Amino acid sequence: MDVTSKNISQLRSMLDNKEISATELADAFISRIKKYDSKLQSFITVTEEKALKDAENAQKVINSGNASGLCGIPLAVKDNICTDGIRTTCSSKILENFIPPYNATVIEKLNSENAVMLGKVSMDEFAMGGSTQTSAFAKTKNPYDLSRVPGGSSGGSAACVSASLAAGALGSDTGGSIRQPAAFCGVTGLKPTYGRVSRYGLVAFASSLDQIGPIAKSAYDCGMILNSIAGYDPHDGTVSKNPVMDYTSRIGQSIKGMKIAVPQEFYAEGIDDCIRKSVLSAADTYKSMGAEIVQCSMPSLKYAVAAYYLISSAEASSNLSRYDGIKYGHRSKIGENFNELISNSRSEGFGEEVKRRILLGNYALSSGYYDAYYGKALALRQRIKAEYAGIFEKCDVILTPTTPSVAYGINENVSDPVKMYQADICTVTANIASLPAISTTCGYDSDGMPIGMSIVGRQFDEAVIIQTADAFEKQFNTASPIL
Amino acid sequence: MDLEMVSYLSKLGKLSFTEEEMKKKASEMTSIIEIMDTIKEIDIKYDALADNHDVYLNDLREDFSLPSMPTEKIIQNATSSNNYFVVPKVVE
Repeated sequence: MDVTSKNISQLRSMLDNKEISATELADAFISRIKKYDSKLQSFITVTEEKALKDAENAQKVINSGNASGLCGIPLAVKDNICTDGIRTTCSSKILENFIPPYNATVIEKLNSENAVMLGKVSMDEFAMGGSTQTSAFAKTKNPYDLSRVPGGSSGGSAACVSASLAAGALGSDTGGSIRQPAAFCGVTGLKPTYGRVSRYGLVAFASSLDQIGPIAKSAYDCGMILNSIAGYDPHDGTVSKNPVMDYTSRIGQSIKGMKIAVPQEFYAEGIDDCIRKSVLSAADTYKSMGAEIVQCSMPSLKYAVAAYYLISSAEASSNLSRYDGIKYGHRSKIGENFNELISNSRSEGFGEEVKRRILLGNYALSSGYYDAYYGKALALRQRIKAEYAGIFEKCDVILTPTTPSVAYGINENVSDPVKMYQADICTVTANIASLPAISTTCGYDSDGMPIGMSIVGRQFDEAVIIQTADAFEKQFNTASPIL
Repeated sequence: MDLEMVSYLSKLGKLSFTEEEMKKKASEMTSIIEIMDTIKEIDIKYDALADNHDVYLNDLREDFSLPSMPTEKIIQNATSSNNYFVVPKVVE
């Protein structure tokens, strides 16, 4: 079996037992990227030289017997996470040549564990989208069917892990951007609790919702990556001081007696039959393991997409005001005066979806509309949080579909913003309520396309949702895409 | 959404559109606002105090100075720079 198809925990044992060296492992992934990424287009920048240097250093640590979880493990990083000296584009023309002068905290943490960075992977421009087709540089394809989208916005992260071009990847999730592409590409993706992972060095989209998290081949692997990136950071005032635990520690423990909530609104009209059946069949599997399935309700779900787009676009319109073409980023050649230069630089540099979000955010925040839109969205955020709290009084985790449909064709939906926004219905509430959520594969449709289910937990209960996802994965036959 | 509103929002966001683009944006924004309008059905009010009860303003990090980032690193991404940021003339 090709070494690149193994998961991180298996690679850890192989490296520790000297069955393979870190350099051989990095080489194997780089060869695979060279062979397959021209058709998959998941990478924007491949950092071959750095990867081999990282691997050499990792091998020294392994030889000394001090290797921690990710030492020598080849990973990819979403291109909105700042890497010192390595181009970070956010898949946007406005940052086409941007070289960050510092590392994001998560990169510092990966470096301190001697993880191996293979490169920077594609995404929807500024993480706004669910298809990776708004990327200005690499419109990533789905490894299960190259005529379909990989999802997004972390489409490059999910596709490269699914196609075994990296053992794991970092993504970011503002309204489902880790979980949705993980579901479309048949891998596992974890959005941690808001504040569990530092956002320092993550290019800001919506600061009250953004969170960095892992995409990997299993819940166990996601736990291993979370172990490395979680924790307090003085550079981020919103990060939690809650102690970091071993997020794989509950793996293998029985889920007998666990109460799993199934909110009916997540299974209603608009969710494809094959998805509904597949996720409810997973609920039956949990029941057969001794868990109790509890029917419940989340009445405000029908307002969640609107609340999410109002809050996230309002924050985006403010966050994106920093792109002026002067300090960094694309600078227009036309601009007689200060304001004209800024306006031309932004208009040439931003793509269509980003412009729509800026307009929507300005609309929601503008005088005369603020209370009706932004104020109401904040009120809904409180209502949704309260509804989750009510469910968690009686249940331990919540089970929902991750997406209303499987991955769609590259030319479907993508040009219709309304359809694209509505497809986020299953994922946005976890961000709105700051909760951790994990998506894993629970089935395949008649064309063999993966179906994802999500497990949402209480704040800081990552270990519980990882345990729950792992219990299902252990008895499920996960397929692999054939490239 | 009418063209006047799109023009106003574009100005706020420092974006410029051709007339053709403006018409397209007006049509797209009209459809997007229709989804946003679903929240008008529900009668609830935002409680700012309830949201901020767990913000600890005394939990700020200690104020001490660290070395600044070197100027050449800060300036490396600016076009037309010469150890400073270059902007069009702002004084008439």
